Amino acid sequence: MAFNLAQLELGARARVTLVGGAGPLALRLLEMGFTPGTVVVLVKRAPFGDPLELQVRGCHVSLRKAEAARIEAVRL
Amino acid sequence: MTPLRVALAGNPNVGKTSLFNELTGARHKVGNYAGVTVETRAGAVVPRLSPARPITVLDLPGTYSLTPIAEDEAVAFRCLAGAEGDPPDVVALVLDAANLARNLYLAVQLLELGRPLVVALNMMDVAAEAGMPVDPAALARALGVPVVPTVARTGEGIARLVEALGSIEHVPQAISPLRARLLADDDALPAPPGIGAARWRWLVSAAAAGTLELAGATAEERAALAAHPAADVTAAAHARVIARYREVDALLAEIGFTAAQRERAPAMSRSAAIDRVLTHRVWGLLIFVGVMATIFSSIFTWAEPLMGAIESLIGWLSEQVAAALGPGVFTDLLTQGVLAGAGNVLVFVPQIALLFLLLGVLEDSGYMARAAFLVDRLMARVGLHGRAFVPLLSGYACAIPAILGTRTITDPRDRLATILMIPFMSCSARLPIYVLFISALFPADDRVGPFTVGSLMLVGFYALSTVSALAAGAIWKRTALRGPTPPFVLELPPYRLPRLRNTLLHVYDRTADFVRQAGTVILSVTVVLWVLLSFPRPPDAPDGGRAVAEAVQVDPAAHVPEGMSQGAAAHVPEDMLQATDEDSPIIHSIGGRIGKAMEPVLQPMGQDFRMGIAILGSFAAREVMISTLGLVYGIEADDENQTPLREKLREAREPDGSRRHTPLKGLAAMIFFVYACQCMSTLAVVRRETRSWKWPLVMFATMSALAYGLAVLVYQVGRALGYT
Repeated sequence: MAFNLAQLELGARARVTLVGGAGPLALRLLEMGFTPGTVVVLVKRAPFGDPLELQVRGCHVSLRKAEAARIEAVRL
Repeated sequence: MTPLRVALAGNPNVGKTSLFNELTGARHKVGNYAGVTVETRAGAVVPRLSPARPITVLDLPGTYSLTPIAEDEAVAFRCLAGAEGDPPDVVALVLDAANLARNLYLAVQLLELGRPLVVALNMMDVAAEAGMPVDPAALARALGVPVVPTVARTGEGIARLVEALGSIEHVPQAISPLRARLLADDDALPAPPGIGAARWRWLVSAAAAGTLELAGATAEERAALAAHPAADVTAAAHARVIARYREVDALLAEIGFTAAQRERAPAMSRSAAIDRVLTHRVWGLLIFVGVMATIFSSIFTWAEPLMGAIESLIGWLSEQVAAALGPGVFTDLLTQGVLAGAGNVLVFVPQIALLFLLLGVLEDSGYMARAAFLVDRLMARVGLHGRAFVPLLSGYACAIPAILGTRTITDPRDRLATILMIPFMSCSARLPIYVLFISALFPADDRVGPFTVGSLMLVGFYALSTVSALAAGAIWKRTALRGPTPPFVLELPPYRLPRLRNTLLHVYDRTADFVRQAGTVILSVTVVLWVLLSFPRPPDAPDGGRAVAEAVQVDPAAHVPEGMSQGAAAHVPEDMLQATDEDSPIIHSIGGRIGKAMEPVLQPMGQDFRMGIAILGSFAAREVMISTLGLVYGIEADDENQTPLREKLREAREPDGSRRHTPLKGLAAMIFFVYACQCMSTLAVVRRETRSWKWPLVMFATMSALAYGLAVLVYQVGRALGYT
């Protein structure tokens, strides 16, 4: 299985390759800037390990791990 | 001259509200879009800014895009596309100069729509400070539309923005290379004849998101979409978003941003440092609990002196009215009905204003998003979005704005589940009920450790209501509203100092709304109840000899309104009326008879007919419960002086000399009000939101059953333990 953003280590960077699946979530993720080619940094995990705080296109966006897992990426 | 109609668009947290308030001088009307509950604000540009022609500004909801994933975006698109009456003449787009890499996405979508566009480039100072200055002229060239730098907080650049808006029609906007490129860009699914390109792209994205309903697609449009395989529609919608971001990147390159600069979050560097504490896994949670605790204890202590002042003012006014008019039925109507009713409503204004102020400061500062981030794990366990936490928390202030706030929740089932949870949250209208009973029945100096018993009970009620709301949500999400946990996807905006003016305006809007409701529903119900509780007067009442009273008083039986409570009144046995409270004039009134008839049902939860009347009255709104009790005691005591109600509750005695309101009975009553959905306004809003009577009725029935059952349980267990 391809590497995805849920597997990213704290402080590590990755480049988005694909947002998988259909429905409102995939569209919302793309519109929030998780388009292929975009570089993402994992800034923080919430106190109980979920959700995640990611830096994308100059903003900080919070996603659950299950959602971040929809975004395939390559480690940088 | 017809005013120029401007629609104000922009991402959340870019200073759009500040800009709107600067433009309109904060003189705006709050309304609703047809069919949905998204709030609108519209106002005229103030003459001080000397617009060349009158300008009206419509504040669109703050959105990241126009793709109809939730109602906010759908409303913004429909408004801009002219589906809600005439489209605006000009769109003013507020961009955050420190965050163009994401903000420009909305700009690209607006350019596709083709309305005349003026950009207000806000937060220039933040961008410059972060070492990423933006050249407005370069951005204007790249976008092909006027760009005006503004600092919404100080009002800088607003006059130039108004000038640019006013002159837009004289400067024909050439089709910029960018706009031409956006429009020419071949769609994977070309628009069928008869459907405009922008509308078609919008429908394709709605179909991909599964929100065609929200997009208001016609049968023909649905048929045109259905001609394509779902996978193609999804692929086309995704390709469109990716193409738009490609344009954004091209724009950024054109104004001199490197790829590395696009990635950076200059506005976030300070926020990230703050978040090292505020969303820390230990300190963050402790601070969160502390913030919530501070809010509620400060409401309790700060509002108290103001409440006392309002109570005294109303008491003084009543005395003045009584002295000026002399005794009589009309005087009683004014003092015991109108003034008492208005006073018992106004007395809650300090708490409501304070709560909205504190919640507003948290929202505007950016902390609310962190709160959602911290508690999402908990909300996800219920099956809801962390963002549902914010409407739920607003439920502490009032269920009505909270229910309106659920529109940010995309999934209809989750939205409904949240709506059903909100009335469990102890709203500020319930707080006075707790405060009244606690301060009347529990000695202020009883302490457990450093805390008074009263404040501990209060915390307990809030905890109980919160746990009950979460449990209700979990149950609904696992039964009738079963569905997957919704996506989270929440921006954590940079921390900003809240602008007090914006927050105060918000507080004013909310509080004025409450008072308007109070002025109509609550006041009229208080007066109607005063009539119900005053007439017919007993034949030997002390004021029976008064001229006015005599004029009104004919045959007591004739005063029972037809069909209303004749039955109830007729069926009350005469000996029951005589048994207790022989001296209370209220026992002879219509309301008293209804209350008496209810008493067998109320006794298991330790309440008498007075509480019965108050509970009945509180259906109109929980606030009425207090004014009804006030009315009950005001009339019963036949006292022109408005001794505060809590004194009366404390001093009330049964015929045998025992206290009428014991702590246990008070506790049972409070438990009842923790759970009872005693608010017509809430039910009416739920009916409007869910577009059927089914859910408000379900809500009312389940909550009332729970309220009664638990109050009976508390009273009976308390009695079994030896309390009275």
